[in-house]
Amino acid sequence: MTPSTGHVPPRWPLKVLTLLIKERYMEEIEGDMEERFLDNLDQFGYNKAKRLYYFDTLKLLRPKLMKGWGGDVRLNHYGMFINHLKVAVRQMKKQKVFSAVKIGGFALGIAACLMISLYINYQISFDKHYKDGDRVFRVVNEWSESGEIGRWTNVHGPLKDLLEENIPEMEMVARVVTWSWGDAGDNHLQIEGKGISHYEEGFFYADPELLRILEIEMVFGSQESALSEPNTLVISRSKAQVYFPDQNPVGKQILLNKNPESLYTIGGVMEDWPENMHFDGDFILTLFGRKTGPGTSGWCCTNYTLYTKLTEGADPLVVEKKTGEMRKSLVIDLLKQNGQQGLEQEAMYQSYYLQPVSNIYLNPEEVGDFYDHGSTDLVWIFGAIAGIILLLACINFINLSTASSMNRAREVGLRKAVGSFRSGLVFQYLSESCLYSFLSLLLGLGFSWLLMPFFNDLTGMSFDIPWLTWWFVPGLFAVSVVLGLLSGIYPAFILSGFQTVDALKGKGVVGGKSYLQGSMVVFQFAVTVILMISALAVNEQFQFLMNKPLGYEKNQVINLLGLDTMEEARKETLKSELLSLPAVSNASLSDFLPVEGSAVHNRSFWLGPVRGVSNGHEAALWFVDEDYITTMQMELKEGRDFRKGEPQNTIIINERMAHALNLDDPVGQQVTDMFDNQFQIIGLVGDFHFESMVGNIRPLALSSGADPATLSVKIETADMGEALVAISEVWEEFNPNQRMRHQFMDQQFANMYAELERSKTLFMVFTILSLVIACSGLFALSLYLIGKKTKEISVRKVLGASLPRLLLILIGDFFKLVLLAIIIAIPIAWYFTETLIEWMANRIPLEWPLFVTGALVASLIAILTVSFEAIRASMVNPASQLRQE
Amino acid sequence: MKKTRLGEFQELILMTVIVLQENAYGNEIQRDLEDRLNERLSMGAIQTALKRMEEKGFLTSEWGETSQRRGGKRKRIYAATPEAHMTLREMKDIRSQLWAAMPNLETSSS
Repeated sequence: MTPSTGHVPPRWPLKVLTLLIKERYMEEIEGDMEERFLDNLDQFGYNKAKRLYYFDTLKLLRPKLMKGWGGDVRLNHYGMFINHLKVAVRQMKKQKVFSAVKIGGFALGIAACLMISLYINYQISFDKHYKDGDRVFRVVNEWSESGEIGRWTNVHGPLKDLLEENIPEMEMVARVVTWSWGDAGDNHLQIEGKGISHYEEGFFYADPELLRILEIEMVFGSQESALSEPNTLVISRSKAQVYFPDQNPVGKQILLNKNPESLYTIGGVMEDWPENMHFDGDFILTLFGRKTGPGTSGWCCTNYTLYTKLTEGADPLVVEKKTGEMRKSLVIDLLKQNGQQGLEQEAMYQSYYLQPVSNIYLNPEEVGDFYDHGSTDLVWIFGAIAGIILLLACINFINLSTASSMNRAREVGLRKAVGSFRSGLVFQYLSESCLYSFLSLLLGLGFSWLLMPFFNDLTGMSFDIPWLTWWFVPGLFAVSVVLGLLSGIYPAFILSGFQTVDALKGKGVVGGKSYLQGSMVVFQFAVTVILMISALAVNEQFQFLMNKPLGYEKNQVINLLGLDTMEEARKETLKSELLSLPAVSNASLSDFLPVEGSAVHNRSFWLGPVRGVSNGHEAALWFVDEDYITTMQMELKEGRDFRKGEPQNTIIINERMAHALNLDDPVGQQVTDMFDNQFQIIGLVGDFHFESMVGNIRPLALSSGADPATLSVKIETADMGEALVAISEVWEEFNPNQRMRHQFMDQQFANMYAELERSKTLFMVFTILSLVIACSGLFALSLYLIGKKTKEISVRKVLGASLPRLLLILIGDFFKLVLLAIIIAIPIAWYFTETLIEWMANRIPLEWPLFVTGALVASLIAILTVSFEAIRASMVNPASQLRQE
Repeated sequence: MKKTRLGEFQELILMTVIVLQENAYGNEIQRDLEDRLNERLSMGAIQTALKRMEEKGFLTSEWGETSQRRGGKRKRIYAATPEAHMTLREMKDIRSQLWAAMPNLETSSS
């Protein structure tokens, strides 16, 4: 029945409709449209029919009929998604062990990542809170010689004035003294010069401009004026609350160490500094208008750290250049006037560097200063470890999913037979793995919450799960989705690739993928072996340092602190009183101790009666008394010890210093220091470690004199507690107004290595974590692979194989993998541990036993894991297995 | 008894479907109604109304026969459900009552 005139309706309206109208309506509508066209054609002719056709098309574009407007798409996909979830949950219940391993592994990985990102986030957040942070810098010395750059902080005092006069781009300049010069460091304070002496730390000196440069918020007083009078100080809010509760203490006075020259007036109260600032302090003493000590030293010495705030829009590089030129012209001249030597070299190589304040804490420029730093290395290492653990968990997931895929072959076959496209199946399995990762997200959060206290101990900080930050919940959610997708892609493709007919019959894809499985196991174990060897190495290194002979005896020594409030004569009396106690065998007055927290003093020395032209030898110079060497049980190798009333120009040097000065016979020689003081060497003491043992022993000289605040007491009896009580009673007699402060020298010693101990524990923790994950993966895998072989085992048993022989066969395959892992791991572990400790001056040699132990332990654990299932399978009654044939 | 609102247009279509019996498919409904109302109707309006009433449960539909004229596509035949009949009757009753209550109006019905 051809249309009367042979015309056909135009093509494109239908195309549009097919695109936009719900699929299930299309057949009816198409038919109606065509029929109407033909009717109209007969009635009205082609042109009108065409127009009516277009018209109808347009009028058909109504929400009710269009795609996506409820009713069709949603019904399909939504329903299917629920089905997928149901199936996934059922699968999980069916394969409890596998699911537990998968989810557990992910959860551990997520927990590790969470905690570590908290740590990393904190480390990066230092000094980022300043409003004008991009204009605040620390002025640092830079020595650039043939490509090597060294940087350090200490600069000369008068540099401040020079900079203020010559560099207009520096809006403000402020010096800071944080090390224990004058009243900086810790002191005993008395309110208004009366009453109890309280011990406080956190004193430092600064120019008044510091308050504005570091944007220190003031509670009372103003940034501009709080430190602008001589002998004023600014106190922190929390300390003000302790000593002047709920008042405004401005104008009140504080006396330090009962020293009439250390009388300060409070000029203001500042807000407590945030945790994430690069340095910390509670009491700021002004450098303005000082007559002695800090703030008055000239071009002789570099004692100050310098901060500056640049004007808006100033370019730090330009300013650097300007200051460098200023140094070449003005500074060098002034130094020359002061009699400093070696200036030609300085002019060539030394200049200034402006370090942005936000860099100070993590210190990528490796500036040598007195502050505590975070370590970018540690940040990287932690991050890498978190990533590795997550990777191991993902590998487990992939391995286990593919291994168990055979069980689901029938399901796949059925779905395909009923009409599912491969894409639908992929979607299903991806949503399954997302479900897993979502569950492990919840579990992981639980783990983190449980383990947080332990983690805080480990890092020495106090973290909390940031439930309330805006990025936390969505961020975690996104992470779990990504995780699920990444781990799920491979198994999803494997599963969806089953051939329908084969799958229904019970056969699936065989072979090929066992390579991948095997290599994943090898990877997991290689990582575990590497971590284990590193853990053992760090542990051994730590033990070595702890047990190394020190050249002195640190145990059984109590240091009494805070004697600076007593007069010289009274200190001596206190010392002899204590000596009369039966528990006390020796006592010595000196601020210089070979452990953390003691005084530091360095000078340059030249051999001979005059100061030399060259740079001189730098050595530590300690002021001790005549009982020091015996109290510390150091070894006096040549010459004699100090005597009571020893003149101040005699010194005892250590072996290292003798070596530096090229002295075979040091006793009787003369040296001169940088201040033109002359000393005669009267003795040689055996080298002892007085700084962290990660560095070498430096040259050191002991001299007598100075006004110490520390009394070290050597205890003979085993009962330190009792001795302490006796000592404190004596103290009470002498200083009823001041509480006795003491420390144990061996404790201080241990503190020096707290950081190292922390790394040690960290490594152990991560090794265990990765071991757990790798083993659980291996366990589940062994369950599966050995489970497949039940028939084979039964047949072998029937044919007469013995239990040991069976075990050998079953475990043999796994053993080969572990062996391969070890072979790969050992060279990498060697390189890694070598890099870890090569920078330490006193390190252990990396020898065979270490690697063998690590490898052995790992393999033993692996074999143990596999043998669970192997033994169980071997003991099964063959009859029950073969019955199914 | 649930008060389901039927619009005037929908009511007309429902009744047309019942009238046309086994011939009640999209185009036929449209032609019939266009005749009675003496105005052009759009296919979109008809289709939307049909689908909406199907969702509300007043209509059912099933595939009919194909024809060359329809380019081989099948028709969709609609039928009214018992609910539809009931609702129509209700509305008729309401209208009758109202008409009866109307005060002497010249009712010129054709």
